[in-house]
Amino acid sequence: MTFVQNFPFICIIMTLFGGPLSSILGRKKAKVLNTAIITAVGLMNLAVLSFVIGTGESYVYSMGHFPAPWGNEIRIGVLEALMAVFFSVIMLLSILGGVKEREEQIEESKQNLYYIMVNLLLSSLIALIYTNDIFTAYVFVEINTISACGLIMIRQNGRTIVAGTRYMIMSLLGSGMLLLGISFLYGLTGELLMSNIHEAVVKIVAEGRYHDPLIVSLGLMSIGLAIKSALFPFHAWLPDAYGYSTVSSSAILSSLVSKGYVFLLIKIFYRVIGFDIVARSHIIDVLFVFGVMGMIMGSVSAIRQSSISRMIAYSSVAQIGYIYMGLGLGSTVGLEATLYHVISHAATKSLLFIAASGLTEVSDDSTDFFDLTGAGYRNKLAGLAFTAGSLSMVGTPLFAGFISKLLFAEAGIGHTYKTLPTMIALAISTVLNTIYFMKTVIRLYTPERQKVEEKKHFTRIHWWNEPLKSATLVCFIALNLVLGLGSARILFLIRNGLRMFG
Amino acid sequence: MQISGLITNYQEAAAMILFCIGFSNLLLQKNLIKKIIGLNIMDTAVYLFLALKGYIEGLKAPIVVNGVQSVNAYINPIPSGLVLTGIVVSVSVTALMLSLTIRLYHRYHTLDLDEISTRLEKEGL
Amino acid sequence: MSVVILLAIFLPIIAGTVSLVQLAGKKNKDEEPSQEQLTKLHYNVARVLLITAALAIFAAWRSGSENGVTLFYLMKDIPLYFHIDDVGRLFVTFISIVWVLAGIYSFEYMKHEGKEQRFFGFYTIVFGVLIALCFAGNVVTLYLFYELMSLTTVPLVLHNGSRESIMAALKYLFYSMCGAYMGLFGIFFLYRYCDTLNFVAGGTLNTALASGNTKILLFAVFMMLVGFGVKAGMFPMHAWLPTAHPVAPSPASAVLSGIIVKCGVLSIIRVVYYMVGADFIRGTWVQTAWMTLTLITVFMGSLLAFKEKIFKKRLAYSTVSQASYILFGLAALQPQAMTGALLHSVFHAFIKSALFMTAGVFIYKCHRTRVEELPGVGREMPKTIWCYTFASLALIGIPPASGFISKWYLAEGALNAGIGAYGWIGPVVLLISALLTAGYLLPVTIKGFFPGDAAKESYENLEPSRLMLVPLAILAALTLLLGVFPNPLISFAGKIAASVM
Repeated sequence: MTFVQNFPFICIIMTLFGGPLSSILGRKKAKVLNTAIITAVGLMNLAVLSFVIGTGESYVYSMGHFPAPWGNEIRIGVLEALMAVFFSVIMLLSILGGVKEREEQIEESKQNLYYIMVNLLLSSLIALIYTNDIFTAYVFVEINTISACGLIMIRQNGRTIVAGTRYMIMSLLGSGMLLLGISFLYGLTGELLMSNIHEAVVKIVAEGRYHDPLIVSLGLMSIGLAIKSALFPFHAWLPDAYGYSTVSSSAILSSLVSKGYVFLLIKIFYRVIGFDIVARSHIIDVLFVFGVMGMIMGSVSAIRQSSISRMIAYSSVAQIGYIYMGLGLGSTVGLEATLYHVISHAATKSLLFIAASGLTEVSDDSTDFFDLTGAGYRNKLAGLAFTAGSLSMVGTPLFAGFISKLLFAEAGIGHTYKTLPTMIALAISTVLNTIYFMKTVIRLYTPERQKVEEKKHFTRIHWWNEPLKSATLVCFIALNLVLGLGSARILFLIRNGLRMFG
Repeated sequence: MQISGLITNYQEAAAMILFCIGFSNLLLQKNLIKKIIGLNIMDTAVYLFLALKGYIEGLKAPIVVNGVQSVNAYINPIPSGLVLTGIVVSVSVTALMLSLTIRLYHRYHTLDLDEISTRLEKEGL
Repeated sequence: MSVVILLAIFLPIIAGTVSLVQLAGKKNKDEEPSQEQLTKLHYNVARVLLITAALAIFAAWRSGSENGVTLFYLMKDIPLYFHIDDVGRLFVTFISIVWVLAGIYSFEYMKHEGKEQRFFGFYTIVFGVLIALCFAGNVVTLYLFYELMSLTTVPLVLHNGSRESIMAALKYLFYSMCGAYMGLFGIFFLYRYCDTLNFVAGGTLNTALASGNTKILLFAVFMMLVGFGVKAGMFPMHAWLPTAHPVAPSPASAVLSGIIVKCGVLSIIRVVYYMVGADFIRGTWVQTAWMTLTLITVFMGSLLAFKEKIFKKRLAYSTVSQASYILFGLAALQPQAMTGALLHSVFHAFIKSALFMTAGVFIYKCHRTRVEELPGVGREMPKTIWCYTFASLALIGIPPASGFISKWYLAEGALNAGIGAYGWIGPVVLLISALLTAGYLLPVTIKGFFPGDAAKESYENLEPSRLMLVPLAILAALTLLLGVFPNPLISFAGKIAASVM
């Protein structure tokens, strides 16, 4: 065993301990520590990624060196390492992009608490990605929920506490169902390690026993995770939670937290149950229908919003719909599209949130479209970044979003009877996307009259006034372009990863 | 057939009924405290279910006493371990929910989430 | 050889970007550049434009078997791929000519608009994008550069920065985007039902795959027609043209009308004749609907132009109508009609650019934008008005000017196309529209030379400088010459049409 193979474990432990450590540090030091940890996690995972690409197969790391049925395992393949790298990169950028807002919106004494939450969140995300034990996954799902709730309500006002409470309630419903589903599965198979469960499940299915309990268990787990990742129609908590929390939180929540659950669900489908069994059940049809409805209803709601952050939040509902639609197609191509979209949406959505914060900042801290008129001139870089993000969301070539749409279309067309719904949903949702994102961009670049600007305390910000945020925005745009242009490489990795994933 | 299955596995059936009670409480109750009670009922129901999966009639709890090492003397310890872990999780989640409730109550002097929301709408915040 | 293709595409893009970055780095952006700096800028721009045009035309016409180049793979089986074929040759040639001439014209014209460096930066970038669009070898590459074209032409429209021009530019952007996404929807289907996404004369549709899904595929094709038709100003998505043109600087309007509109036409040619294949839509509701839309546009465009009093807006409506002549020729799905359409694309590019340049002269020399202000203008600038008159005659289609030939082919093609009633409705509409064209273009000449009651005692000489006059004269001469010696062009267009049907 080479030293690199220890890295995933070290990442989880390091981030877990980083939390308590930042609680005793001062605000500044906590910030530095947090940034250092996330960077280190990103680099380590990059090392792991290159290691796994080199060996060409996934490896199992036993915690505490207890052998299989008793010990707890993590399993590392290309896909997991790729996700971990992306998650830490996006986490880092989101944290750096919102420093100023955080310092303004969060009480001084609570600021190092924020970093505890971020550390916990990162550790739970990485654990969710790597773990090979389904009950461990449940525990980290709960840690994820708790820290996400902390991220929402750390900005103390009535809205965020209500949003946090709602988020908690919905999440707890979801995790209750997940836990019950896991218990059922344990009752059926008597195993907790994912690969062992899979063997047992294959045996059960081959013998034709316990068909219904298996489906119920699968259904409970899927719906539980769907609730937690805000699939339509369980999305009611989302707009408030994303719309009113501080910008780093919104970016992290929308791009990472929900994606962590999606990744776990993919893992359950692919590794625990086996994708052919899942594809034969009607669970994925349900997910498909919800996904398609989410794509359309989310966009319709987004059009009706009058606040930019809520609009972006509703657009997340639509994008989660895309992801579940891809899953619901029940094909490997659909899964590839989903995984690519997880990455591309994470990169785009956090870009949009941070760019929007830059725009509201120069508009008297109002998120209302009316006040944002001409904001693209007042903060040029943020306007440019928002435009780039919008172009990516609507699917302009060169940007990441175009490739996801192409992949979804390819996956949809490969299917026998879901082709038409997929295509129609893609078409409608693309047009709706164009409408609300272009509407916003047009609003941003509609010149405001001089008099109004003075009356409303609008300010101007140049890119050199906020070097950190400008740098993150540029990095995000670059990331989007890299994803859009280098998609062949990333798809290759995803494909490779899926091969060693099951 | 179906009903007899339910009767022979009455413990599991009870766990499921409890789960449904807890779930619907968490979902439908307006009062936040009642929601939290629902959450606890729901979690407990799952623990009951898990514990049943590991229970073997007439055997002892998996704690080695009097030097008895035989596997046949004890019930399956893994579900018990899971239940313990689950309880820890549920305690922390409950604590978080209660603290949220206290904050909301301090601000708005009500435990009804919908009422708070309507009030927020009115304030136009 | 592939280096030449890439160089022709990326030289202007890089040069323009460098110029813009240099501009962004300047501290005193709003300061007027000195005469010296301006001359230097003009020389640089002229150099880039001429070299690019030379490279593009050389790349297009050199003989050789190896004429494709793959840049890199966007996805596993979707490369960014450039390939040169006859349509690309035709388009790249006339685009290069017009682009260089309009560029030279704008050296003088842009003096009164200011912010030259920004304008020329984007102007050169768009040139590269257009060459790439012409050379695009598969539909995804085409789509990529189509979108880039929309994005990079926006700054040309909003150049003067007034609220009105920005709103017009945003409207243009919104229309283009909506259209492009309708096109994208169709591309998803083609991805599935075509053997390859590369352009092959006659289409690459896999008939075995498509046979069960004809209805949905037809719908997808129709969406693409409407979508790409946005750029070509096809009804019902034509409204951006009359909004964008009056506010844009005149050279920008000239190329918007002459060239950018043709890129919509090019995309439609690519989709219909090189992806789907003419046979697939012949005789279906798509063909009927498409012809109906184009004929409505032809008629409506001329009528609105006839009623319009703002000169540039009138020309914009005229573009709406003329571009649909081309589309009608394509919709007839008949070799002769297609020959006519290709000829009209070339002729209209020269003619409309010349007309907009004239409008630019009016604005630049005497700030006249409305038609009522124009009487007597022929006495002030006779050379300009003569150029204008030649171009107008060509557009109306009076022999021997060029427009006559293309319209002749269009009408003859429509009559032979076997498209039922449209076979004679089409030519009739074209004829009415030609009369209207005469009605809205010629009064400027007539009133210009014979102002009648509005005649003044004496007219000062307002003839523009050579930088403006020469490009205008060249274009006007081309419209005439191509009418007198049309044979090489006709045979070339005929060859293209024969190869796809």
